[in-house]
Amino acid sequence: MNQHLARLITRLAPVVIAFALAFVLFAATGFSAGSVASGIVEGVFTGRGATTNTIRWSIPLILIGLGIAVSLRAGEFNIGAQGQFLVGSLAAIWVALKWDLPKPWLIFFAIVLAVVAGALWSAIAGVLKVYLGADEVITTLMLNFVAIQLVQWVATGPLRDPFSSGDAASTERLDPSMRVQGSGEYSLELILLTIAVIVAAWSLLERSRLGIAVQLIGANPKAAAWQGLSIRGTQLHTYLIAGGLAGLTGATEVFGPAGRVVTGSTPALGFTALVVATVGSLAVVGTVAAGLFFGGLQAAILYLPIVSDLPPSGLRIIEGLVALLITAQLATALRRRRSTQSPLPDKALNGNQPIEEGIQHVLSRRSRDETG
Amino acid sequence: MEEFIASTLRSSVPLALAGVGALFAVRAGIFHLGIEGLMLASAFTAVGVAHSTESIILAVLAALVVSAVLSTIYWFLLDHLHADAIIVGLGLTTLSVGGTAFFLDVIFGQRGRLDSPVGLPRPIRGADDGAASLVSELSILGWLTPLLVLASFMLLRRTAFGLRITAVGTYSYGARAAGIRESRVRLAAMLCTSVGSALAGVELALGGLSTFSEGITGGRGFIALAAALFGQLHPLATAAAAVFFGAANAIGVVTQVNSIDFVPRPFILMIPFIITIAAVTVSAIVRTQAQQRRMERLDAHEP
Repeated sequence: MNQHLARLITRLAPVVIAFALAFVLFAATGFSAGSVASGIVEGVFTGRGATTNTIRWSIPLILIGLGIAVSLRAGEFNIGAQGQFLVGSLAAIWVALKWDLPKPWLIFFAIVLAVVAGALWSAIAGVLKVYLGADEVITTLMLNFVAIQLVQWVATGPLRDPFSSGDAASTERLDPSMRVQGSGEYSLELILLTIAVIVAAWSLLERSRLGIAVQLIGANPKAAAWQGLSIRGTQLHTYLIAGGLAGLTGATEVFGPAGRVVTGSTPALGFTALVVATVGSLAVVGTVAAGLFFGGLQAAILYLPIVSDLPPSGLRIIEGLVALLITAQLATALRRRRSTQSPLPDKALNGNQPIEEGIQHVLSRRSRDETG
Repeated sequence: MEEFIASTLRSSVPLALAGVGALFAVRAGIFHLGIEGLMLASAFTAVGVAHSTESIILAVLAALVVSAVLSTIYWFLLDHLHADAIIVGLGLTTLSVGGTAFFLDVIFGQRGRLDSPVGLPRPIRGADDGAASLVSELSILGWLTPLLVLASFMLLRRTAFGLRITAVGTYSYGARAAGIRESRVRLAAMLCTSVGSALAGVELALGGLSTFSEGITGGRGFIALAAALFGQLHPLATAAAAVFFGAANAIGVVTQVNSIDFVPRPFILMIPFIITIAAVTVSAIVRTQAQQRRMERLDAHEP
């Protein structure tokens, strides 16, 4: 247990440092660090609806984070969760607003379609990476931008809310009777769904054939290939799982706390979930714990502008600092796959070949390693 | 058509500057996802300083300094604290998104945008007809870009410094055995990247409308990185890739200006990102095939 405690402390140390730095910055620019700090405490623990909001934000972070953990374990840097989430929520809102079915069936189809949409969106990058070698970091990032434009189109075109005001375009709201959760409450259904997903993710990663394959491929793709594992199939599965979970989260947001799809103002759930999975050392229990922690943080972050005059952008600074520092300690797990200086002597480099060919080697090393 | 060419040239300047900057870091073995953040921070610094001092030179210098400081922090986190390059890069970008909006509010009391009284000079401004009209909108940085690209080419291929950068990224053990101080070389490479990103940010903010708006970079930093990969980390090819992506961007600009609306606008704004995905895929295919040919050749030579 002490070991776990020590690990927890080393994980959380960068977060504390990030907060300290942010507080110094806020104090230096004339905000009262005390009121910011007490605002955070209120937002996480004592304020009105604090625990509700913590749970509200933990659920999407845990769901998306578990998918990202599966991807990263296999050595696939799928950072497109935001896009997969948005596409999933578009599928869900489309079913919810346009299909005419009894409520249980409607929710069922909306969830199925959201999962499929997220998984397919993720599979675009997966197929390009696994079969053609296109760098998944770039493609998933670009797919995020494409998804943002898709939301822009849906929210200003086909499903536009004619009564929305302000900068952000919004789709029509879901009828309250359709939702499982209003904005100031939490729903048993969503909590049970999340627990089910956590259990499923645990048995997948720790107790299933695919989980072992993911682990082996992430650790050493060549050895895994020699063991007769299907590298490409397994990697593609991780894309489907990550995208499917992000898509599912889209549905839970639409039927739950959000009730609609808005452009712009959604917090960058996909990005925070990446940090959650990293802090959780890509383990299920760790990701859940980190998800609760960052869920509380998100609740506090959204509560802060209410109690102090800190502009909302100050909270992005905290997020950025946390991400900046979070991997400073735990590098090994991630760097093993992404290391740019992995000492792999390669026969392509043993001869007297020109430098330019060496560069080709750097660029293609990752993809070659991973596909065996 | 003239409009399209002029817009392509203007759009490709920041991409070329940032892309050629990016390839230094990638050659040194760092997958640099912080370029977007560096561009944003530089753009804001440049406009902020120009707004306060009305001096374009100070603005450019300040942008270079801020970009270099952020890059040094990035380097320190990677080289001394063994952080993950991708997560730190994304963190740097998030920090810049938050930081620029925060300081815009705190220092200048503005939300959303800040105007600069001065902009980058345009050498042949005002030429209305013929070929000159295509480039009359180009800022001085636009004119300098080809020179900077050539200079990068010479630096990488004709100097010991450039070869060291490539050596560190290509074969770390070999570089160390040859007595190269890897850590310093990586820092130098990242500072080169910081110069490219800073100039790209300055060009975005002060090259045209002389204004900073939140999120002014709009993913261009990531596209610039993709341009470097598409250009196979070669400066001239990267610049060519930047022009290609610039053309994709110009489609959006031209259709908006002429209010062509048979396709909803979001779909037109998607084009650069989709083309980037296609380009990254094509270059991966080309690379894999070249690799296979080389391996076959090497196999043939073995006894």
